[in-house]
Amino acid sequence: MTADGGRRQKTLKASERLERLLAVVPYLVRHPGSELAELSRLFGIGEAELLEDLNRLFMSGLPPYGPGDLIGVDIEDGRVWIDMADYFARPLRLTRAEALTLYLRGTALAATPGLQESEALASALRKLGGSLGSEALGELAARVETTPGGRPAGTLDVVRRASAEHERLRISYYAASTAETTDREIDPEAVFFDIGNWYVAAFDHRSGQERLFRIDRIRTAELTSERFQPRGLAGPGRPLYTPTEQDLQVRLRLHPEARWVAEYYEVTGQQEVEGGELEVTLPAARLEWVARLVLRLSGQARVLDPPALKDLVRQLAERTGKRYQRGSPHDV
Amino acid sequence: MFGSRSPPEYDAARMHPLERLVNLVALLLESPRPVTFEHIRDTMPEAYGQEDVGSAKRMFERDKDVLRDVGVPIEVIGTDAWEVEQGYVIPKDKYYLPEIEFTAEEISALFVAAHSGGEDASAEQAVRKLLYGADGGLLAGVSPAPLAAEAGTSDARLLAAAEAIAEHRGVRFDYRTVRGEDSERRMDPWGLVFRSGHWYLVGLDRERGEIRAFRLSRMTGDLALTGEAGPRPEGFRAADHVLVGPWGPGEPHERARVAFSPEVSWWATQGLQEAQVERTRDDGWVELSLPAALGGGLVSWVLSFGPDAELLEPASLRAEIARRLESILDG
Repeated sequence: MTADGGRRQKTLKASERLERLLAVVPYLVRHPGSELAELSRLFGIGEAELLEDLNRLFMSGLPPYGPGDLIGVDIEDGRVWIDMADYFARPLRLTRAEALTLYLRGTALAATPGLQESEALASALRKLGGSLGSEALGELAARVETTPGGRPAGTLDVVRRASAEHERLRISYYAASTAETTDREIDPEAVFFDIGNWYVAAFDHRSGQERLFRIDRIRTAELTSERFQPRGLAGPGRPLYTPTEQDLQVRLRLHPEARWVAEYYEVTGQQEVEGGELEVTLPAARLEWVARLVLRLSGQARVLDPPALKDLVRQLAERTGKRYQRGSPHDV
Repeated sequence: MFGSRSPPEYDAARMHPLERLVNLVALLLESPRPVTFEHIRDTMPEAYGQEDVGSAKRMFERDKDVLRDVGVPIEVIGTDAWEVEQGYVIPKDKYYLPEIEFTAEEISALFVAAHSGGEDASAEQAVRKLLYGADGGLLAGVSPAPLAAEAGTSDARLLAAAEAIAEHRGVRFDYRTVRGEDSERRMDPWGLVFRSGHWYLVGLDRERGEIRAFRLSRMTGDLALTGEAGPRPEGFRAADHVLVGPWGPGEPHERARVAFSPEVSWWATQGLQEAQVERTRDDGWVELSLPAALGGGLVSWVLSFGPDAELLEPASLRAEIARRLESILDG
């Protein structure tokens, strides 16, 4: 993998190369003898381009370029040393946009559940807030809030690794729509977090189709050490549910306390009714999961349509209710 | 280690822009006092020494803009009492990043965060600067960045929202509700909330006179900054105004006992660190004791598993579930 996800292999403008160089030089002053390959990875710049710029630096220095005013660059066995660049011994400050963007992205990522980097990220953000202070971040640090929410996923790390290395995974997956667990092989591509859950967009060899899997429902994931060619599946930002023509149109009437449903699911229609209630249309390929949703909302949601869903909810309530008919479980 | 060499021969036609820019930064940074353009021209003839002063000055102006674009703080200061002559300088205290040291884990985490967004490269550049303060052994085990925030929100919009809050400015934007209705909104933004994969701007909706939360990804255009915003009320908590989705058994204050079918028990207890298995029944069901808020949240959560879960204790909530199920069957 490349550290930047292979995104940046374009040619950079002079200003971008300058920016890059003004960060690389202080790093080299502090970390003498760094490997070219590592620099290339850290600074998101191709080795050839980096070499070219370092050689260019060899011609630069403090005008009028007296002895000792030119920057010394030494490259041996793939390692780089730099000398006589005292004025570039520390990097340029972060611009406001840089500080804000990093702070906001970091804050968002730190608020996702079950990420192995969470703790280190939180402490790095505290340092950033403390050192960059009011000038770069303004009052913002005190005005940005996050709410922990969502499901952690035990298999997140292995799925991330597999998606980075394009390695096929063997998973056991619990599908909530059918309440069944099945085994399958998948080619995982993009990993992302949306509305409280971690997802992976993957090619599913069981169905022979692209599918979105909730990572928290992946019970076990094993690396197969078999590589796959990425298909360029759409990742973050894609709709979590793609309605089809075969979908049933479920209509629910939601109590004010259940309004979150309209935010959480891909609803296609929504209408205010009296008393703060909301009528929503929810496209669904299967009714089983909607029935469980209605069960969870009991008292806060009423099924308007289709009648088959009403039946399903009743059946589900009946089956669930059996567990509660014997009074206290200790009596059994 | 550094081989000797003769000073390079400079040639305006051959001097690479990168070289010219680096030299200019060095000159302005090291100069104890502001230097005039004439002085710069004399000192760097290979860069700005062309015969036509006008074109040399234009080139210098372009270079100055490039440097400012990347954040180099070039200041223009009068060099004589009448301020007829102007000099340029880069104050060291405004140029150099303060010392911030990071552990390898911290810098790796920032690296992942910086790469977890969209196209905007500002955060990545920020981390490149911060790498300087990192311990060795870098990024050895960095996993690639998963995306935390919705890709539908551009960094520009998020930045504009952040700027508005930091500067106490009102904002105006076009917004599309879940229902697909478009309208222009004006608000006093008091806070940004990241909740479950989405950013929300929270504050006073000027037209409605109420506190509202707007999801950034539902804004349909740029965010325009307007006049000064009204003051944020004491003790205002933006997160309280964002609709809450149901994630688990509630904030844990007490304990509940729940039994799960073998199909779902592993999933139900994922992330509930204090869940304790009390016993596994002969039929494979697992009885657990877990931290929970003893209220409606727990009831809903258990019900969401349908017949795959059974609340054992407390008895009062068990009765509540039974009552709810009966009302469904009666309804």
